[in-house]
Amino acid sequence: MASSAIKRIAFQVLLTVGAVLWIAALLLLAESTQNSERFGELHNLILLINAVGVMVLLVVIGVALSRLIRDYRKHIPGSRLRARMLLSFVILVVLPLLVVYYFAVQFLNSGIDSWFTVEVEEGLEDALSLTQMVLDIQKRDYLARTEEAAASLVGWPDLGMVNAVGRLRRSIGARSLTVVDRGGRIIATSQDQPRDIQALLPGEELLQQIGQGRPYVRMEPTREDGYRVITAVDIPQQSALTQQRALLGQFPVVARLGRLADKVDQTYNEYQGKMFLREPLKQSFTLTLTLVLLLSFLGAVYGAIFFADRLVLPIQQLVAGTRAVAKGDFDTQLPPGSSRDEIGFLINSFNDMTRRLGKARETAARSQQLVESQRANLAIILARLSTGVISLDEQLRIRTANEAAGAILGTQLGSRVGETLEEVSIGQPLLVQFLDSARSHFDKNEFEWREQFVLRGELGSRVLMCACTPLPGGSDQPGGFVLVFDDITALLQAQRDAAWGEVARRLAHEIKNPLTPIQLSAERLRRRYLGTMNAEDSQFLERATHTIVQQVEAMKDMVNAFSEYARAPNLEISTVDLNKLIGEVLELYRARETGVEIKQNLDPELGEIQVDAGRLRQILHNLIRNAFEALGDDQNGKVEVFSRFHDQDDCPLAEIIVRDNGPGFQMDLVSRVFDPYVTSKPKGTGLGLAIVKKLVEEHGGKIEAGNYKEGGAEVRVLLPVNETARQAMMEQRRVEVRRESA
Amino acid sequence: MGMNGTASSNRVWLASLALVCCGVLTAGVADAAKDRPRFEIRSAYAELENAVYFLHARIDYPLSKQALKALQSGVELNFQLRIEVNRVRRYLPDANVATLLQRYQLRFNALVNRYVVRNLNSGGQQSFATLDAALSFLGRVSNLPILDKALLQPGKKYILKLQAELDVRRLPAPIQLLAFWLDDWRLTSAWYTWPLQP
Repeated sequence: MASSAIKRIAFQVLLTVGAVLWIAALLLLAESTQNSERFGELHNLILLINAVGVMVLLVVIGVALSRLIRDYRKHIPGSRLRARMLLSFVILVVLPLLVVYYFAVQFLNSGIDSWFTVEVEEGLEDALSLTQMVLDIQKRDYLARTEEAAASLVGWPDLGMVNAVGRLRRSIGARSLTVVDRGGRIIATSQDQPRDIQALLPGEELLQQIGQGRPYVRMEPTREDGYRVITAVDIPQQSALTQQRALLGQFPVVARLGRLADKVDQTYNEYQGKMFLREPLKQSFTLTLTLVLLLSFLGAVYGAIFFADRLVLPIQQLVAGTRAVAKGDFDTQLPPGSSRDEIGFLINSFNDMTRRLGKARETAARSQQLVESQRANLAIILARLSTGVISLDEQLRIRTANEAAGAILGTQLGSRVGETLEEVSIGQPLLVQFLDSARSHFDKNEFEWREQFVLRGELGSRVLMCACTPLPGGSDQPGGFVLVFDDITALLQAQRDAAWGEVARRLAHEIKNPLTPIQLSAERLRRRYLGTMNAEDSQFLERATHTIVQQVEAMKDMVNAFSEYARAPNLEISTVDLNKLIGEVLELYRARETGVEIKQNLDPELGEIQVDAGRLRQILHNLIRNAFEALGDDQNGKVEVFSRFHDQDDCPLAEIIVRDNGPGFQMDLVSRVFDPYVTSKPKGTGLGLAIVKKLVEEHGGKIEAGNYKEGGAEVRVLLPVNETARQAMMEQRRVEVRRESA
Repeated sequence: MGMNGTASSNRVWLASLALVCCGVLTAGVADAAKDRPRFEIRSAYAELENAVYFLHARIDYPLSKQALKALQSGVELNFQLRIEVNRVRRYLPDANVATLLQRYQLRFNALVNRYVVRNLNSGGQQSFATLDAALSFLGRVSNLPILDKALLQPGKKYILKLQAELDVRRLPAPIQLLAFWLDDWRLTSAWYTWPLQP
């Protein structure tokens, strides 16, 4: 982290330095092209700055480019885009730069060329020639004067010349006049003002020319920006013996003429200089321009790299972030860009998205955890259930199955998840039957049903209570099913056993009762008539009553055994005349002469009904005996039996009412009178009404008990008249039971 | 790993860049050294007279084609003679005792068709009909007082150093720019040394 920060800072510093140098170089170049005197001072600085700038830019660009190439080779995301942007930027920069460069060079060359014209050059040359001609006239004039003076000095001795020279100088208007010998030594001299003696010395070229005997004249610029004319002539020799002398003169050029000549010279010089400088000027301008453009180009290239980097960086981050998210890392957060543009918006949106994804994933994980724990709970519950539970998909493939399901169906289901029931059922007879039964519903498009199956296997048959519920799925087809089933074989058996036990107990109850009076009656007969009879008769009686008593005892034993082992037969429905049956039963009680009044009120409309005659008889016996027992020894006792025919809702019913005028039911017992062993009588078994209720319900009938308003108890029995009515009543009861259990 | 790779690739890149630069420079220098006229100090010595050292020297100032052409076109050429007196030290760099800069200007006056040499130190000037005469005048230094003897400590070693050069900085701007690139304008002599014994 730290090294990257340092790197970034270093790059920024380099960039800043480069930019400052570039601007400085441009300013200095602009300055120097306008002010050539300062150029000398600035020149090296400019070059240094430019060189450093170019080097810095080259280094920076080189590093950036090498990085880009490395990224490109490594297929780092964003490098292609960066390279493409960089290329576009560079092309965008290079083309205008080249165009500008070309036209600038063209303008420069033609601009500089336009400074020079042949006419001006010729004019200047003419001016120069004219000036030279004018000056030549002056030079010749001064030479003539010097020759004149020299002629007047002929024959003068060296010593006498000093005065003559002074006079002559003044007469010819010279600044100085000097007589020298051939070696250049001064013999005599005269000056208008004191001067450096050095200035008077003749140069080599002058002496050389004089030595050849030719007069010498030259014009040269003075230190004071003027001109002077220097002349030299031999002083003619009088004789070969005298030494050769020469006269040197220095003349001023007329001030005005000098100034003009100077001007012409300067102008000509300047023009010539410029002519000479034309090519160097063009070259140096081109060079400067090239340098500036090179700097601009390198700057632009670096700028392109910089901006491409900056533009691509958030995209790179986005790509990296997207990859991370794709790999499942929802905690990815991109550094929020400071820019408020679309890319900044994109980054913020991305961060929002990952945050939300993270939250959603957390929520999903939590709910999944919850579901998992619930599923685990459910799995535990299902495993512990004795009820078999199988969930199937719409193709009847097993999704889940608990252990109990396998145990009931006699095969392992838990390990066959994913297979269809059909595949699993191969070689499994119980499962085949189960599947067939279920199919019969599915084929009829029944998806919610409840049925009892009987599956026949090698070890006997099994009875299953099975319920099917569809699972929610798409459109109108269910997405699967849940089958819940119980093996109720044992339960049914137990119920049946209980029922048979009940019947047995009841039969015992009913048969035992008359056995005792029979036994007692037989013993009484024997006691009464044994003494009154002859020996033969009494022996017969003795034997007969003994047989009766013995047989009754045997019967009692049998009944007891029966009550233990016997199994009650199914209902034996037969057609019975109810009124007649009631009459027969009542006749039995009338014959007892107990003093209780027995009344019967039978509905003649009530004809024959389909019931189990034996059981109906038992119902009547129990009810009537109950009534008698309730009355006890009451002399005003009265028992009434009613029969009535009901035909409601196409369900013909026979109603039997048994009423007495006894004390009635105890109020706290009214609601429980049909429960076994509930009784208010000291010698009651408590089974009477319970058995009645059982028998009535076996017929599909109903029974109610209550106290009659004028005193006494009343029991009301409703029995279906035929099989159809019985089925309807049964169904109604089942519905009621289901509603109750629900 | 990645960082190392980057650093090494950068180093390789920089090294190759430096190599290319060096190559270019060397080629340029080699090319320049081929045919360039050089100023040359033929002889130089100092003479003690009245407790003052006077310099005598002979210098060749051969001009390059470009310089010659510029001179004919009226461009002034500035020459300078750099004279240094240094005390020799054993371990440290030599200590400078005195530095003298003699500057001359040479120009061609088209009006009078003469070469004018001007001593910028003294202000004196002389004109010559030929360039050779002007250059030989320039190259003759005699009796130039350079140092008071009192400035030199007895027993120490001193050397006199001379270098003659064309002063590029006083050329017109465009030529200056070119002079940086073109060897034709880089006219300099080697340093000439002469031991000075106090």
